[in-house]
Amino acid sequence: MTRRREFLQIAGIGLPQLLSAADSAVAKNCIIFFLEGGPCQHDSFDPKPEQTADIRGGFKTIPTAVPGVHFSELLPRCAQSFKKFSVIRSVYSKEAIHEKAKQYIFSGSRPNNAFKHPVIGSVVAKEFGPRAGLPPFVCIPKKDISADAGFLGAAYDPFITGDPARKDFKVQDLALPAGVSLEESAARARLLAGMDDEIRAAEKSKLVEGMDHFYQKAFDLVTSPAARKAFDLEQEPAKLRDSYGRNAAGQGALLARRLIENGVRLAAVFQGGYDSHIRNDEASKKTFPVFDQAFAALLGDLDDRGLLASTLVLAIGEFGRTPHINHSAGRDHWPGVFSIAAAGAGVPGGQVIGSSDAQGGAPKDRPVSIEGLGATIYKKLGIDYHKEYRTNGRPVRINSDGAPVRELFG
Amino acid sequence: MPPLVSILLLAAGVDVSFERDVISILTTKGCNSSGCHGSPAGQAGFKLSLYGSDPAADHTVVSRRIDLKNADNSLILRKPSFAAPHGGGHILTKSADEYRVIQQWIEQGGKRNASGPRIVSIEITPREQILSAPGAAANVTVTGRLSDGTTRDMTREVRYAVNDEAVVTVDATGAVKAKGRGLTTVLARGMGRTATAQFIVLDGAAASVSQRAPTNFIDREVFAKLREVRIEPYPLSGDDAFRRRVYLDAIGVLPTTEELAHNGLASARPSGEQLARLGPCRSGLCAPAEAAAPLDRAKLIDELLNRDEYTSHWLVKFEDWFRNSQYYSQGRTNASYKRWLAEMIRADRPYDEAAREMITATGDTTVHPAGNFWHPAIDFMLKTFEVSKATPTVTRLFLGQRIECAECHNHPLENLTQDDFYGMAAFLGRTKVKHGYAQYRRVWYNTREGEVLHPVSKQPVAPKFLDGTTPAVNAERRDALAEWITRTQKMQFARATVNRIWAEYFGAGIVEPADDFRSTNMASHPALLDQLAQAFIDGGFRFKPIHRLILNSQTYQASARAPGRANGGDPLERVLLARYEPRKLPAEVLLDAVGQVTGVPQTFGNYPEGTTAKDLVASIGSTYFLTTFGHPRRDIMEPRSQAPSLAQALHLMNADAMREKIGSPKNVLAELLEKTLDDRAGLDALYRRAYSRAPSEKEWRAAENFVGAEKEAGRSRRRAFENVLWAILNSKEFQLNQ
Repeated sequence: MTRRREFLQIAGIGLPQLLSAADSAVAKNCIIFFLEGGPCQHDSFDPKPEQTADIRGGFKTIPTAVPGVHFSELLPRCAQSFKKFSVIRSVYSKEAIHEKAKQYIFSGSRPNNAFKHPVIGSVVAKEFGPRAGLPPFVCIPKKDISADAGFLGAAYDPFITGDPARKDFKVQDLALPAGVSLEESAARARLLAGMDDEIRAAEKSKLVEGMDHFYQKAFDLVTSPAARKAFDLEQEPAKLRDSYGRNAAGQGALLARRLIENGVRLAAVFQGGYDSHIRNDEASKKTFPVFDQAFAALLGDLDDRGLLASTLVLAIGEFGRTPHINHSAGRDHWPGVFSIAAAGAGVPGGQVIGSSDAQGGAPKDRPVSIEGLGATIYKKLGIDYHKEYRTNGRPVRINSDGAPVRELFG
Repeated sequence: MPPLVSILLLAAGVDVSFERDVISILTTKGCNSSGCHGSPAGQAGFKLSLYGSDPAADHTVVSRRIDLKNADNSLILRKPSFAAPHGGGHILTKSADEYRVIQQWIEQGGKRNASGPRIVSIEITPREQILSAPGAAANVTVTGRLSDGTTRDMTREVRYAVNDEAVVTVDATGAVKAKGRGLTTVLARGMGRTATAQFIVLDGAAASVSQRAPTNFIDREVFAKLREVRIEPYPLSGDDAFRRRVYLDAIGVLPTTEELAHNGLASARPSGEQLARLGPCRSGLCAPAEAAAPLDRAKLIDELLNRDEYTSHWLVKFEDWFRNSQYYSQGRTNASYKRWLAEMIRADRPYDEAAREMITATGDTTVHPAGNFWHPAIDFMLKTFEVSKATPTVTRLFLGQRIECAECHNHPLENLTQDDFYGMAAFLGRTKVKHGYAQYRRVWYNTREGEVLHPVSKQPVAPKFLDGTTPAVNAERRDALAEWITRTQKMQFARATVNRIWAEYFGAGIVEPADDFRSTNMASHPALLDQLAQAFIDGGFRFKPIHRLILNSQTYQASARAPGRANGGDPLERVLLARYEPRKLPAEVLLDAVGQVTGVPQTFGNYPEGTTAKDLVASIGSTYFLTTFGHPRRDIMEPRSQAPSLAQALHLMNADAMREKIGSPKNVLAELLEKTLDDRAGLDALYRRAYSRAPSEKEWRAAENFVGAEKEAGRSRRRAFENVLWAILNSKEFQLNQ
């Protein structure tokens, strides 16, 4: 397309500068741990022990591996592992409805009425394509209505795994149906190839080319033992599986590690239950410990395998929760300020970036925008996020106006 | 070709004009493009109007960046010349003419002389040009029309862009160079105005084109354009191909075996018993015994348009357009809206009347379903009606005009401003909604006051139509809006509507995207579109006559492929409609077709038996199959994705649901294998069910060999046929309409 060249012309960026941008791509992979519903900043990385109970909430604080920094007592393992990751306490959003807020943080671009922006994973899929026969963008365990390719089209939608903690876990449509051997599958695939021969030989449209391409990839996935193994958690030692937690989020995080190890570029693990409008403390007691175990285990495991240096790991939610506890002992949606965690791919450990005000309601210093988070991820992955896509003739930048969080670049 | 304005200026030492010269430079250098300082948020704290649409505002912000005592010290020069760090890079050298023009303007006082005539529009000529071969050169001229009636050559003061640089390229002087066969648009932008020209590049081979008698005006227009570029239309499709195509396109189902026989597909197959007696076929007996009578296509088209499936098939498309989604109505009135739309389609109700009913709807939507039209404009959480969402919906659906860009900034490709947007929005300023019954019941009503405020001036905006006219003072605003759309603008209303129908049949509109009409988006066949729109008006805004015109045309009935042709490899053939462009079956049609071929229709939760995928009411939470194959959420106004994907391939190959249908003891194979001992008869039946045709001798042999080999591999006859069925459902011919 013309746009790229035009952009380069306008920006006056020559090839050498671009190359150096690609060189600085430290992240070969990315894992996003998504805390769905809006995790409470007070109950996690930004406790407010000096506040009254209606703000502080029901949890105490504990020291972390970094002197002077405290987390909520719900995150003991994260506290111990704090040398492995950074926390930003001053992220803010502008959307307070789940779907829109998720779309905002998944895409790094604010939702609008004119078009639907692709999410970061879809952009990664488009820019880099598949690696080692595996889909580039995977969501674990389910499809999220806010996490799709938008105007880029279904070809860049995430691949969905299903819940890996289930006893009968099997990735949807990935394995041959029960009772069909590889030999039988190959035989009928040959029959199919013969049936398609005539159209394939004569038809030159992109559509048929595309269908062919995906069938080929599907056959590769189904028949390649390595690809199928990537989804097979049974290959992991029981002890390691235990360490992540035998639940959807824990096993999901482990699956994410297996997948990026084998070729997936961006894996998103969803853990629900954070939308604590009623009885916040009870909700937090159920959710955060699961996250604590899984996230700490993931960072440790990645580090042990030497993968942390090349894998950007983020723990994010769509927004935070109200500083004041409501009449139902819950907390409501609060995009004003919330915390996220980031690790790997050159992100320094043990660092607290920014802070919130006394009640945990607004950024006090170093406010970090959603666009900035998006730009950070793109920069880590070596994607030129000023690049323009086009939808219906309209230029749309991959990320508009975001500045990468420089503290995450060491 | 005039020399660069800047050179003239410098030579003569004349006064530099901010509007004419400085903004031109900001435009040609891309400074005020949407990717840089022209973006709604500006760039690095410096915001220019998009392509110079607002010279006054631009002058204000540029004046803050000039140093009258030392022009070279001005930020506006130091940044682009890299004397100061500039995120946008090194744009100008100090010796560049453009640098010197801006320098001279600053030295002359940096004033904006706003008194002179201003540019009201720009034109690019020629508007359409055919270049004979790659390498050929041409020039475009851009002329600015000024407010005093004079014109000015602006060829070197605008910024050019080309939609498809594989076809032509254009440089800053307006010199066009042909690169490769195809059709593309050249866009010129300057002083906030845009103009386009269309270029067709041929590859030099001057083939002769035969004269073909058109069936109706569609063919007349399409053939004329093809002749102009010396492309022969593809031959007419055969009866088998046409029959399957028209069933799928017009009513969304495959013809049944009985319908095939009735409609002339030779069914002269010996029965299983006969075959068993005769032994394996060696004599050609099994090939269609006699040539079938040619299909009466016009009669078939009429029959199809009167079937119930016509309604259910087109209903899904209307639901897509009108976004009948649980996401917006919480499931309570999806069904009543669906029924209302269905009745409109079934009765072929005049569409102008239906549109007026929707636009002016008031009352409880459970009782007056037309009001569901407004539901996508309700803020999900706040339960309020959002004028900014509703306004572009109305213009886009009924007039094919996208004005949502202008909500936030002046439209970059159309002479449409934020003021125009809010003038239209004002028609909805007195529309209100009330929520009752646990917030699920909605009642629409009008108030006597209430105004929309302009986001910048915060002043109430008076209602004003896009054409600049205003409604009668006392008119109820939505009534006035409905009148204006369906009566005053009836030609555009008709164009936008028939273009949508056209896009469903041809995979692209005559204006494409089908709901993006603007002066800078040229129609491929403007005269055809106008005639089709006129036919729609003359027929009382009824859809069926339009379907009939399209389906009976040779343009629609052309083959998808022909020997020795490009068969999809030539972009020109696609745009100019030389052939029928194969398409994937839409999600609902495909799922229903899988059910039809296997004899195991999909069941949907609590829906009664016989419910098809097209009949489902809720659009979110529908089956994995439907969403995977492109059934949209209908949350935003985007055409549904027709792209193939990995998930689709995996699903048809491996899904449990597919396996269950193929392996079901009650499916088509049970009956088929019981009825016939002859494998050929079984294969013949499967081909008819899936492809609406009999297999060729070669295909028969291939499938027969497969079944034989399967048996040798130790698999049962039943299992062998299951694998044939699997291959058929995964084949391109099954998944495509072609």
